[in-house]
Amino acid sequence: MSITDHLLGALSQYGLPVLFGVIVIAAAGIPLPISMMLVAAGSFVELGEMKLWQVIVVASAGAVLGDQIGYALGRWGSHHVVPRIKRSKNGEGKIAQAEAFTKRWGAAGVFFSRWLITPLGPWLNLTSGMAEYPWMRFFVWDVLGEVLWVVLYVMLGKLFSDRVQALVEILGNLAWVVVGLIVAAILGWKVLKYMRPTATMKEEKDTSRALA
Amino acid sequence: MNRMGWQKWIALVLFALVVVATGVFAVRTVRRAMYWRLHHDEVIRPWMSIPYVAHSYRVPPHIFYQALGIPPQLHDRRPLKQIAREHNRSVDEVITVLHEAIARERATHPTGAPPPPDQGRSP
Repeated sequence: MSITDHLLGALSQYGLPVLFGVIVIAAAGIPLPISMMLVAAGSFVELGEMKLWQVIVVASAGAVLGDQIGYALGRWGSHHVVPRIKRSKNGEGKIAQAEAFTKRWGAAGVFFSRWLITPLGPWLNLTSGMAEYPWMRFFVWDVLGEVLWVVLYVMLGKLFSDRVQALVEILGNLAWVVVGLIVAAILGWKVLKYMRPTATMKEEKDTSRALA
Repeated sequence: MNRMGWQKWIALVLFALVVVATGVFAVRTVRRAMYWRLHHDEVIRPWMSIPYVAHSYRVPPHIFYQALGIPPQLHDRRPLKQIAREHNRSVDEVITVLHEAIARERATHPTGAPPPPDQGRSP
């Protein structure tokens, strides 16, 4: 029996405390099937075993708490790691780049990684803390994103309450497709960037040869 | 090969790997969506409760309690694995009894629904 079966069984039997605990742990960075738990919770709402507003409040609170733990770990737990990176070759520049990236894309990154590209959520919590992204801004975008995520998945579970297992298998794969497309776009852009200087250098060589 | 060359090749290899992995997940998503469209029945798993299976298969819960030979309970939130443990049976055995009960119920009250799927995972 898989960990998903154990967790969903516990959710069915004990309800909200299990939902809260598992979501806190998962949002803090331990990979657990929380999307499936939300969809199942939506189904239990439809069956009359749970109350909709309670599920939304408890799940959102758990997710936000877990994210704050991740942010705090990045902000105060990285004191040993960041100076080491800074001392390394080009370390200072790398940290500055990471900070600039987080400050530029921070709000969008935090918001979209809560509900659209969920596998990246725990990583963004850590990097936002490490880059000392302003906590209040992180908190606001975090709450907005997490509430949207919870409402979206719980309502999907409520709507397709008789096919939780099938729905989550589709959603789980779809989340990785979205992540894959984003990572492929970033890597593709990098590859193009590496190709360009080589092409320019070749053109310069050809031009100088022609001139000679 | 200079450092830039290595970086370029590493980025290229990573790009290819990510494209392949994304393709695999995209194919799996489409296959599961097609399976969903063609099969209206949920695969019965150990986490499910009797009210959930009853809701999913549109079968009255008392049919399952009768088939398992256990007293019906209101708001029964026990997962099938718990019911199996309480009655010294394996989960697979409990799931088989439920499938048999569903087949019997559908034979006596046909609704035009397709037969229940195998006990394994969907593709």
